[in-house]
Amino acid sequence: MRPFTHLAAMELKLLARDSGNVFFMVALPLLLLILNSENKTLTNFLPGYIAMALAIGGINTLPGVIGSYREGKVLRRLATTPISPLALLGAQFVAQMVLGLLATLIIVGAGILVFGVDPPRHPLSLALAFLLCSTMANTLGFLIASVARTAISAGVMGLMVMFPSIFLAGAAVPRGGLPESVQRVGDFLPLTYGVTALRQGWFETPTLMPFLLLIGIIVICTAGAAFLFRWDR
Amino acid sequence: MTAIEVKDLHKRYGETLAVDGVSFTVAAGETFGLVGRNGAGKTTTVECLLGLRRPDSGTVRVLGLDPARQRRTLAQRTGAQLQESALPARLRVGEALRLFAAFYRRPADWRRVMEQWDLEPMRDKAFGDLSGGQKQRLQLALALVGDPEVVVLDELTTGLDPVARRDTWTLIGDLKASGTTAVLVSHFMDEAEVLCDRVAVFDRGRIIAMGTPQELIQQTGTNSLDQAYIALARAAR
Repeated sequence: MRPFTHLAAMELKLLARDSGNVFFMVALPLLLLILNSENKTLTNFLPGYIAMALAIGGINTLPGVIGSYREGKVLRRLATTPISPLALLGAQFVAQMVLGLLATLIIVGAGILVFGVDPPRHPLSLALAFLLCSTMANTLGFLIASVARTAISAGVMGLMVMFPSIFLAGAAVPRGGLPESVQRVGDFLPLTYGVTALRQGWFETPTLMPFLLLIGIIVICTAGAAFLFRWDR
Repeated sequence: MTAIEVKDLHKRYGETLAVDGVSFTVAAGETFGLVGRNGAGKTTTVECLLGLRRPDSGTVRVLGLDPARQRRTLAQRTGAQLQESALPARLRVGEALRLFAAFYRRPADWRRVMEQWDLEPMRDKAFGDLSGGQKQRLQLALALVGDPEVVVLDELTTGLDPVARRDTWTLIGDLKASGTTAVLVSHFMDEAEVLCDRVAVFDRGRIIAMGTPQELIQQTGTNSLDQAYIALARAAR
């Protein structure tokens, strides 16, 4: 195996070993799915649950992991080996995306096979929405890790961004059911456009706008993280 | 043959002059000690050897390469153990060795390294569950799993109990016998006296004395490197 593949596989294993993390990413959306399973418009909920799993991994878990790698001098330790510490950040990114995909397959599989949700109408558009939503959540996570000074503050900041996001961006509850003023707050949350792109791919008509906005957010978060990230604190 | 060459190294952090004109050479196969109190410039010097920091001025060559410019090429042939560096808490001993071995083009057999350093019994134990001594032993094994020509060991035995310290000395003896060039940073003089072929005594960013432990002891008319160090440090004030 190539060094990077080895590193990414190890990061995935470490994430999977964290039972709290796996619970939040898979069990929580699944639980919401089951609680809402009597609802006739369950299709209306499902895309949001995918966004929720991705937000929990990228916005909440990732900053804490990166923060602890910096604080524990894991990044420095890696800089004494032939692999770049940047590879560890890349490996964490890939691992989050793979875990997000596994969570998505479980949630979607349960939705379609157990609860009779209609399959997605635009699978390709949905796949692109998944990729961009996952990338967006992860780059936002890197930005949070760049701003936070310690591992604990990175975890807390991740939680503080993740919670309002999943509730106000229409991930845990579709935005249509939220009060008008709360919906306007959602307009300013990056996750909103992930949810929108996923919903459009599943049962609406895909439009270019959410994709462009997601790409814009990814560029801004990556640039911000690249500028602000410190290997050492 | 020269393994390491440092000429007139300077490094400043803001107002603090951490290293102020340090020069030394280490021959291939030699065990070279950097001793001195905390903040004397030892760690900054080894960080420049590893390419973790860029010198303000002066030249550093390790195996003929410039660490600041050729860090990754050099890292294929060097190994390091840093002060207070951790690994992901849930990473297991065997996994860590196997992972680090995968970073190198021609690594040592990680299973053999695991046995050599007596890590086999805790192969499936997570890094976060290891004792201080076990963590240190794993870090040393990881520094050697790439089968390096040069190793840099910063505060090798700090935090180890007396028995674990002696065990580590034995293992460093084996390392010397294998012909590996080693740079040891320590503030334990007994350790430097036993393990090092030559030592450089650091004080406020400079080398105030350099030679074999015997030479430094004779030069100061003392009985041990510990006493020699104290005499040298006092004379430098």
